[in-house]
Amino acid sequence: MNGWILTVTAVLGAGVGATLWGVATGPLRRRVVAQNLSTALACPALLLLAQGYERPAYVDLALVLALLGPVGTLVFARLLAGELAGDPPRAGALTWSAAALGAGVVLVLCVVEGPSRALVKLLVVGALLVGGNLLASRALSGGMTGARRG
Amino acid sequence: MNPRTRLWLVATGGAGLAALLVAACLRLPDFGGDRHPYGDRAVRASLERHVANTVASVNFDQRAFDTLGELTILFAAVLGCMVLLRQTRDEHRAPPEPADVALPVRRYALLVLPVALLTGLYVVAHGQLSPGGGFQGGVVAATALHLLYLGADYRALERVRPIGPYEAGDALATSAYLVTGVAGLIGGSAFLANTLLPYGMFNTLASGGTVPLLNAAVGMEVACAVVVLLAGFLDQAVEIVEEGEDGERDDDGHDHEEPGK
Amino acid sequence: MAEAVIVVALLLVAVSATAAVAVRDPVRQSLVLAVLGVVLAVLFTVLQAPDVGLSQLAVGSALTPLLLLLTVRKVRRRGRRDEEGGP
Repeated sequence: MNGWILTVTAVLGAGVGATLWGVATGPLRRRVVAQNLSTALACPALLLLAQGYERPAYVDLALVLALLGPVGTLVFARLLAGELAGDPPRAGALTWSAAALGAGVVLVLCVVEGPSRALVKLLVVGALLVGGNLLASRALSGGMTGARRG
Repeated sequence: MNPRTRLWLVATGGAGLAALLVAACLRLPDFGGDRHPYGDRAVRASLERHVANTVASVNFDQRAFDTLGELTILFAAVLGCMVLLRQTRDEHRAPPEPADVALPVRRYALLVLPVALLTGLYVVAHGQLSPGGGFQGGVVAATALHLLYLGADYRALERVRPIGPYEAGDALATSAYLVTGVAGLIGGSAFLANTLLPYGMFNTLASGGTVPLLNAAVGMEVACAVVVLLAGFLDQAVEIVEEGEDGERDDDGHDHEEPGK
Repeated sequence: MAEAVIVVALLLVAVSATAAVAVRDPVRQSLVLAVLGVVLAVLFTVLQAPDVGLSQLAVGSALTPLLLLLTVRKVRRRGRRDEEGGP
């Protein structure tokens, strides 16, 4: 068991465990936020697992999750817009801390990796992860309904 | 059959199954043990055929016939869904109103769509090298297309997604898998046998004989099937309305009550 | 000690799967199901089965919620119509 796997255990146990609690109980606005946070936390965990097991190919899982996780949240934001409009979710602090965790993990892994093609992939995953989750969170809270269609 | 007999039948069957499962579990090798007779043979066969990802070798070479079964199940399932979700005589189409999508979401969707499509293709193409393959990549690519629905509205999606070609592509990809199998029968030794093509250099895109071909066929089949399936669901949810029903506002501004908890 | 992460992942899957059954409203259920998919993918990765994990991620993170929510929307719409037009 190395430090990477230990970190994953902590992230899974504390972070994903908490989002699981959030998604299973409480009002709808809490549940959608918890769903978004679960992907925001699981993606760094997958990156750390790839590093911990020394299997660079496992980064593909994090890539797919960073791509599709926010898409899933956008699906909820779009199709539950009616229910969420009256009671918009607010989770600015939590979202930002999850994004910071993701960015931090990607940064550390980049430093360990050094300049290579794998570094580019890591950066792509990081950008998709942080950008996607912040955007999905804003879409959930309905803070963008002022900006109208083009 | 009265309920009592039925209950007895279920109880007997369930008890028998449970007994068999327990018996099987008692003889299982230990968790994390170091003796893997099947794994050793699968890895050896996969290395002989220059396939770096043993799972791909099992799926598309050693057990390619099983994958044909799975492919057919997906094909039949999507076919069944399309029959169930077709537009019946008492339904008509009401074009949905254009949706209000916030500008950042629209930009995100348009930016991520090509990246996701490319990732899908990457996952399909690297199936024999790294985790992934036709199924996973096909689903990612098909999901990517539906970013158009999230980033714009259903009409934008319909414009780039004429359903006919995707249905044809689904059928064509399924037959491509079959044709590769029959080619193995005619030119090589047996149905779906991986003896036809050179195995290529280990750990390159063109390695593994027919494995990448079958992977590509599965990828196309799955992508087309998912697009067709989602089209059926989206049509029903957004566009098709029954007689006497209001047209759908795609924005979902309507006020349904909070569902009973 | 190396099994700690496996145990944590297994526990998360067990809890989220139970929650997915215990939650009764389909909309909330689809949210729990999305989390269950992510947790399952992590479990598969921890058990060194990344191919299965990738399948689970591809299907579970966006496709399943979309199919479920579209179905709920259609069924609710029909339910509303029956309430309005019914006896």
